[in-house]
Amino acid sequence: MNPILTFLVVLIGFYGLSTSDNVIKSVFSVTIIESGVILLFLNLGNFEGGSVPILSEGVTQIVDPLPQALMITTIVIGSTVTALSLMLCIKVFHHYGTVEWKEVLSREDVKS
Amino acid sequence: MSRQIVLILLLGALFAVFTMSIIELEGLYNAFGKEYFLEYGQSDTGSNNLVTAILLDYRLFDSLFEAGILLIAVSGVIWISKHDIEEKNARFMIDKFKTPDLFITFSRLVYPLMLAFGFYVIINGHLSPGGGFQGGTIVATAILILYYIDADKETNIGLIVTVEKIVYLLIIVLASVSIVTRGTFFTNFFPLDATQDTKAIYLVLLNVLIGFKVALGLWTIFTAFLKEGR
Repeated sequence: MNPILTFLVVLIGFYGLSTSDNVIKSVFSVTIIESGVILLFLNLGNFEGGSVPILSEGVTQIVDPLPQALMITTIVIGSTVTALSLMLCIKVFHHYGTVEWKEVLSREDVKS
Repeated sequence: MSRQIVLILLLGALFAVFTMSIIELEGLYNAFGKEYFLEYGQSDTGSNNLVTAILLDYRLFDSLFEAGILLIAVSGVIWISKHDIEEKNARFMIDKFKTPDLFITFSRLVYPLMLAFGFYVIINGHLSPGGGFQGGTIVATAILILYYIDADKETNIGLIVTVEKIVYLLIIVLASVSIVTRGTFFTNFFPLDATQDTKAIYLVLLNVLIGFKVALGLWTIFTAFLKEGR
């Protein structure tokens, strides 16, 4: 896959982040950006005809295992960040009764 | 409308910058690391799966902090949600009478299979795709199904987090044993010329500990979410 296509995924995430009014949609946009970064890294060591980096008899051409090992870290951290953000969304809903950015910011007790 | 046009123009500018810099990306990448791992990875670490070899031996320092970040996130989730649980005396979100009977029956059938598959993925982390993080997630998902089977199940979050901290300390201790036997931090504690099967003992031990820790951490996270009620 072309690296430019992975950056298009990141751009879709940026667009959603800047246009969405809902807090939960913003969290989803961050997840989409993260998926784009993961695809870019997995794309780096990949090539046509390479097998998975598990050594057995007859395996001579493997894809690069280093980006895959790094991306495990990214996936774990991304899931924890998503969990933390969603818990903050629940707190916002309990406190203000809505999850829309504009409604929360238009409240009098919120200093933007 | 004009704001959207400005936004699309800005995103287009970002795209142009990336497209210009992507030409150098292919030149920056080289395959020397891959060739090294292909030639020495199996004899150095005793792992057929090279991703596990990097994760648990070459770059164990990274993995330790990766597990630590999960612990920190669990603490954050509990700290944020703590006050609501005590104030509202919240019940679980899952209503026993609204969950279909078919779903409950199939959950009972699938639950042991998912647990067994999770343990398989954890223990065979050095031979096949998988490892501690992935297998731990599968085990945690199996425990999530348990809530559908028994909706009134009580979970003691404090106990789970305490066990998780102890397991994290055990991981650090197991990773540091190599300072005594080999003289370097954070690598396999068997000598470098040991056989592959001997070295695999260390990998299985560390995989099991990491899988245990990840499963407990994710279990805590979604118990905290369920207890938020609503």
